[in-house]
Amino acid sequence: MTKQIEFSGVNKHYGAYHALKDINLSIDKGSFVALVGPSGCGKSTLLRSLAGLEKITGGDISIAGEVVTTLPPRRRDVAMVFQSYALYPHMTVEENLTYSLRVHGVSKAERKKAAAEVAVTTGLTGLLHRYPRELSGGQRQRVAMSRAIIRNPKAFLFDEPLSNLDAALRVHMRKEIRALHDRLGATSVYVTHDQIEAMTMADHVVVLRAGVIEQQGRPLDLYDKPANKFVAGFIGSPAMNFLPATVVEGGSVTVDLGNGPFSLTIPVAAPVGAKVLIGIRPEHLTLTASGEGRFDAVVSFAESTGSTTFVTTATTPELMVVETGRRLVATGDRAGLAFSDASVHVFDAETEQRL
Amino acid sequence: MRRLYSSLVDGRGFDLCLIGIPLVFLIVLSGVPLVYNVVMSFQAVDMFSLGSFIRPWVGFDNYRQLISQPEFWPIMGHTATFLAASIAGQFLFGFALALLFWLNFPGASWLRGLFLVSWVMPGLVVGAVWNWLLSGDFGVFNFVLHQLHIISGNVFWRSDPAFALWSVIIANIWLGTSFNMIMLSVGLSSIPDDLYEAAELDGAGALTRFWTITLPMMRSSIGALISLGLIFTLQQFDLFAAITSGGPNNSSNVAQYWAWDLSFKQYDFAKGAAISVIMIVVVMLASVYYVRSTRHEVRG
Repeated sequence: MTKQIEFSGVNKHYGAYHALKDINLSIDKGSFVALVGPSGCGKSTLLRSLAGLEKITGGDISIAGEVVTTLPPRRRDVAMVFQSYALYPHMTVEENLTYSLRVHGVSKAERKKAAAEVAVTTGLTGLLHRYPRELSGGQRQRVAMSRAIIRNPKAFLFDEPLSNLDAALRVHMRKEIRALHDRLGATSVYVTHDQIEAMTMADHVVVLRAGVIEQQGRPLDLYDKPANKFVAGFIGSPAMNFLPATVVEGGSVTVDLGNGPFSLTIPVAAPVGAKVLIGIRPEHLTLTASGEGRFDAVVSFAESTGSTTFVTTATTPELMVVETGRRLVATGDRAGLAFSDASVHVFDAETEQRL
Repeated sequence: MRRLYSSLVDGRGFDLCLIGIPLVFLIVLSGVPLVYNVVMSFQAVDMFSLGSFIRPWVGFDNYRQLISQPEFWPIMGHTATFLAASIAGQFLFGFALALLFWLNFPGASWLRGLFLVSWVMPGLVVGAVWNWLLSGDFGVFNFVLHQLHIISGNVFWRSDPAFALWSVIIANIWLGTSFNMIMLSVGLSSIPDDLYEAAELDGAGALTRFWTITLPMMRSSIGALISLGLIFTLQQFDLFAAITSGGPNNSSNVAQYWAWDLSFKQYDFAKGAAISVIMIVVVMLASVYYVRSTRHEVRG
C-alpha cells in the first residue's frame, strides 16, 4: 500500500494553547480514515491543517509523496465537504459544481459536460439549475459532495458532514458516502464526533483526545482491545461499565459496589494490592436469577425499546446492562449478573492504560 | 367596552395602534406637505396668494418656464456631476476602507469607530472646516498638493468656476465615506468564512475570490447603498450653503440648492416647488431600486 497522506510530528499552537501534540499518522491510498473524538479534541484542527486552512507550528504534512506543509490550500489538490456545506448561495447547483473548473480556466462546454456527468452519479440531474436555497438538506449535502468529486482530488476531507441532517437521512447518507468512496477509489479523511459513524464507515479509526492520538486501528480492534479507559468508554454505545477493584492473591480482585465486597477472577496478572478498573461492556453483561450470576445487584431502572432492554443497577457506580429482547424486570428486583472472562477488560486505575 | 379595552391592550386594536400612530405621523408631516408641494407646482403662486390653498391652476407653465431659463440645464448638469462624483467617491473610498478594516489588524475596530466621527458632524460644521482646508491662499489642501508637486500656483477652489462644484464634492465625499464604509463592512462581515475557505480549496486566489464571491455576495448591500447614497446626496444642502452658496455665477449650483433659492430667496414658490417635484421623481426611482435590491438579498 502506498501512503497517500502522512503527518509527521505535527504540532499546532494557538498562543499558549497546544491544540495538536506530535501527531504521527499515515493514511493508505484508497482508505477511509475517521478522526473521532469529543469536541475540542483537535480532530477538526487536524483536518483543517491537512487542507491548509490552519498553519501548523511544527512537523510536516505530505500528500501523495509531496511535502505540502507550506503550500496554500489551493495548491494542495484536496477537496473538502464542510459541516455547513459552504455552497455558494449566489450560484446555481451547476455553477457550484464547476466553480473549481472555472477558476482553472476550463471551457464552458467542458464544464457543463463534467457537471452533467457528476450529477448522474450523485442524483442531482434535475436540480442543476436550482439555487442552494431551493434545495433540501440532503440535496445540499449531495451538491457539496459532487463539488468535491468533480475535481478528482488527491484526497476527500469531510468535516462532520452529516451533523445537520436528521437521524434517518444520516444513516442513509452514511452508506451513500461509503459507497461513493469505494466506487471512486478515493482516499478519504472523515471527521466526526459520532463514534457510530466512525465505526460503520471507516477502515481505520483514529481516536483523539486533547490533541493526542489515543489509539488508532481497525474499528473492531478498537472495540475488542481498547488501549486505555478513554477509548474503551468512547467506542461502543452505551458506554462500557467500569468497576473499581483491588487485586488480591490468586489472580482475583475484590470489587465493592456499595453493598458488600465480592471477588472476581481476572484474566490478567497484576501485583497484589494494585488498584484496577474492570471494564465490561453493557452488551456483555447478562441478567440471571438472583444468586446464579457472578454477583447480585438491585435493578434501579429498566427501559425497553421493544427489541432491546436497558437495565440500570442500583450500585455505585451504576452499571448498565443491555439485553436483547424484552426482560420483565422491574425497579427493586434483585438479579444476578453474568459475563464471560473473555469479555473483561482490565485497566490500571492510576494510568488508565490497559493491563 | 371591556372588549374594546382588551383589544386595545392585547389584540387587533393594539396592532392597529402600532401601525396607525406612525401612519398618522407620516401623513401629517410628510404626505400632506408632499401633496401640497406637488399641487403648488401646478399653480400660480405669489406673495399674496401664499396663504390660501385655492390658487389659479396653470398646468405645466411653471415647468415650461423653469426649463426655458438659461441656468436650468447647467444646474441639472451640475446636479448629475455632483451625484455621480459624490456617490462614486464615497463608494470607492468606503469600500477600500471597509476592506482594510476587514483585515482585522490590531486596533481595527477602534479605528473604524473613529471614522464615524465625520458622519456625526453637522454639515454646516463640515462645510466651515472645509472652507479653511480649501482656502486659496492659506488652505492645507493647496499646501499638500503643492508639496506633492501636483500644482504649482494656488488654486482658488471655492471661487474658481472650474473648481467650485468640486470643492463641495470633495467635502461631501469626506462626509459620506464613513457611512459607506460602515454599510459595506456589515455586508462584508455577513459573508460566511467557510465560503472563502471552500473557494480557496477550489483553487481560487485572492483576486478571484473577490470577484466571484465577495462582489456577487455584496450585490444587495451595494445596490441598497447606492440608492441610499443617491437620496442622501440629493438632500445635501448644508455644504452648498456653507462652502459656495451655489456660486460663483451658478457654477456650483445644484437642484436642491436652487429650489431653496427660488422659494425662499426669490419667493418664486411655484418654481421652487416644480424643481422639488422633479427631484421627488428621481428619489422615487431610487427608492424603488432600493426596496428591490434589499428584497432580493441572497441568503444561504
